[in-house]
Amino acid sequence: MSRKPSDAPWLDWVNVALLVLAGIIVMTPTAWMILSSFKPSHEVTAYPPTLVFSPTGENYATLTRQTPFLSYAVNSLIVTAGSTILGLLFGAPAAFVASWTRITWPAVVALMARMAPGTLFLLPWYVMFRQVDMIGSYWALILTHAVITLPIVIWVLLPYFDAIPRSIFEAAQVDGCSPFRIFRRIGLPLVSSGLAVSSILAFVFSWNFFLFALVLSNAQTKTLIAASFNFIGEGSTNWGGLMAAATIIALPPLILAIVVQRWLISGLTLGAVKG
Amino acid sequence: MASISLRNVVKKYGAATVIPDLNLEIEDEEFIVLVGPSGCGKSTLLRVLAGLEAIDGGDLMIGDRRVNDVPAAKRDIAMVFQDYALYPHMTVRQNMAFALEMRDLPASEINAKIDAAAKLLDIHPYLDRRPKALSGGQRQRVAMGRAIVRDPQVFLFDEPLSNLDAKLRGQVRAEIKTLSRQLRTTMVFVTHDQIEAMTMADRIVVMKSGVIQQVGTPEEVYEAPINLFVASFIGSPSMNFLPITLEGEQLRLAGGDSLPLDSGLSTGVSGPDLILGVRPEHFEVVPEGQGIPAEIMLVEPLGSDTLIHVRAAEQDLIARVSPDLRPVAGGSVFLRPIAGKAHLFDSATEMRLIGKNGK
Ligand SMILES: Nc1ncnc2c1ncn2[C@@H]1O[C@H](COP(=O)(O)OP(=O)(O)O)[C@@H](O)[C@H]1O
Ligand SMILES: [Mg+2]
Repeated sequence: MSRKPSDAPWLDWVNVALLVLAGIIVMTPTAWMILSSFKPSHEVTAYPPTLVFSPTGENYATLTRQTPFLSYAVNSLIVTAGSTILGLLFGAPAAFVASWTRITWPAVVALMARMAPGTLFLLPWYVMFRQVDMIGSYWALILTHAVITLPIVIWVLLPYFDAIPRSIFEAAQVDGCSPFRIFRRIGLPLVSSGLAVSSILAFVFSWNFFLFALVLSNAQTKTLIAASFNFIGEGSTNWGGLMAAATIIALPPLILAIVVQRWLISGLTLGAVKG
Repeated sequence: MASISLRNVVKKYGAATVIPDLNLEIEDEEFIVLVGPSGCGKSTLLRVLAGLEAIDGGDLMIGDRRVNDVPAAKRDIAMVFQDYALYPHMTVRQNMAFALEMRDLPASEINAKIDAAAKLLDIHPYLDRRPKALSGGQRQRVAMGRAIVRDPQVFLFDEPLSNLDAKLRGQVRAEIKTLSRQLRTTMVFVTHDQIEAMTMADRIVVMKSGVIQQVGTPEEVYEAPINLFVASFIGSPSMNFLPITLEGEQLRLAGGDSLPLDSGLSTGVSGPDLILGVRPEHFEVVPEGQGIPAEIMLVEPLGSDTLIHVRAAEQDLIARVSPDLRPVAGGSVFLRPIAGKAHLFDSATEMRLIGKNGK
């Protein structure tokens, strides 16, 4: 980024100040969480928070000792990966068709389903899945988490498809390409960075979603985030353990975000600055 | 490799009728240029031919086949788009191979066709580059290459030269014309540039507001434009128009000057409400008394000849004169239409009046 001559220097300062402010808002709880996970349990809730303490791995040790942490993690991975793939499988063609036909109301419906409080779905789903004896199955979780992933995939990909000149698809039509092949050979490759962005966002949101798993999973299929609620006991919450669990849960999305941050940024600003 | 026939074709976008009722017969191996001002429906017509737009009435035949309901993918037509529409994620070679792969041709045959087309268009050096790494002119060639390898029934071009600079445009114009002779395929070329139309077409189709005004060879539309619109659209600079009154054998101009009636213009019609049309190149400079006096406002030397912008008969006119005349702004000349070259139009119907000699 080169500085334009018209840019006033004070703008830079405002920029920096805003970034610092945003950083403080985001980082304070995160830092609190990470630091607390290394504190002895009694020190976690001390106020003012102790900044100097002798770090301990005790919380993490308890975590792995007392709970089947690893199998929860595997559950989370199965549900998240499954629902992300499901979201891509249906969301990508849906976004392509919505962009091409300019018929976006199904996408709007999908978005509204996403914005509705999750509790709205809980009862009907619980009844439905019990009918077919799927409570506690991975499929119940994967299918319900698709409500999270599908709208994300559709709405992230829409502007990517919209940005492709229509003439390119028309050229493929004239070249004798069937609609499905146009999608696969022309559409998908041209939105590859959008696919990356939408997969990651879908993955993260699905990973962090706990409500459905809380109700629809059983002891064998419980996801990490749903399991971490076990630490909030009545009266005697193990804050240290909870913070350690939260830190571990936050890791995969964090790592993903760092790995793909360049894509993410270019993807999230698509449309604002057309390259 | 196929004739095209459009019969009473109607195209609407919602409530807006872009093509009200169009009839056109295009012969096999013919090079047809659709020309008209921007927004007159040229691209729409081309997209109708390609199958990218459905028609709302009439019949569309390619060869012996009625293709009204045949999708673009099954029409065996190649199209060069205005923005070239190359596939950005594929190399030049892959771009050219794409349509052939869709037809499941064996790889050896695909490569042979690509090599032949690349040789024809001189694009061998960048077969393995992506479109992004090509100049505008190179992309244009690749777009043509992608069309040529397919050996289609019909080629469609939508203003393929409009994104090139002037020099390249002239060069590619000549190349496309040569190519059309070699390929012997029916070609429909759309442009808003009448020079492209004149230089390339076997026949020109002049359109206005979705209606065909005239179909004819470049000579025909230039020498015998059917109405004021065609007369003003074809030719550059545009034809001059002077309102006149016909009094016996005299053309009375605004401002009181008059010219003798050219025998070729004799139509049997007389009276007011006529328009005399004279192309800039069809004025001759004559001694005083034999033409209309014209005051020179502006001189544009083009080298081979010189354009003078004049004020005569209360009109602003342009005449193309010899540079040897050394005209200067502020000076004056006497101008007269060259015998047999002027046209008469009915100002009410805007149609050209056919002279008694049939021209
Ligand atoms: N997809 C469309 N929807 C509505 N109107 C259109 C569409 N495409 C073109 N038009 C209209 O049809 C007319 C002809 O357009 P077009 O064929 O592109 O003209 P040209 O190629 O001669 O410049 C224009 O008035 C244009 O606004
Ligand atoms: Mg056009």
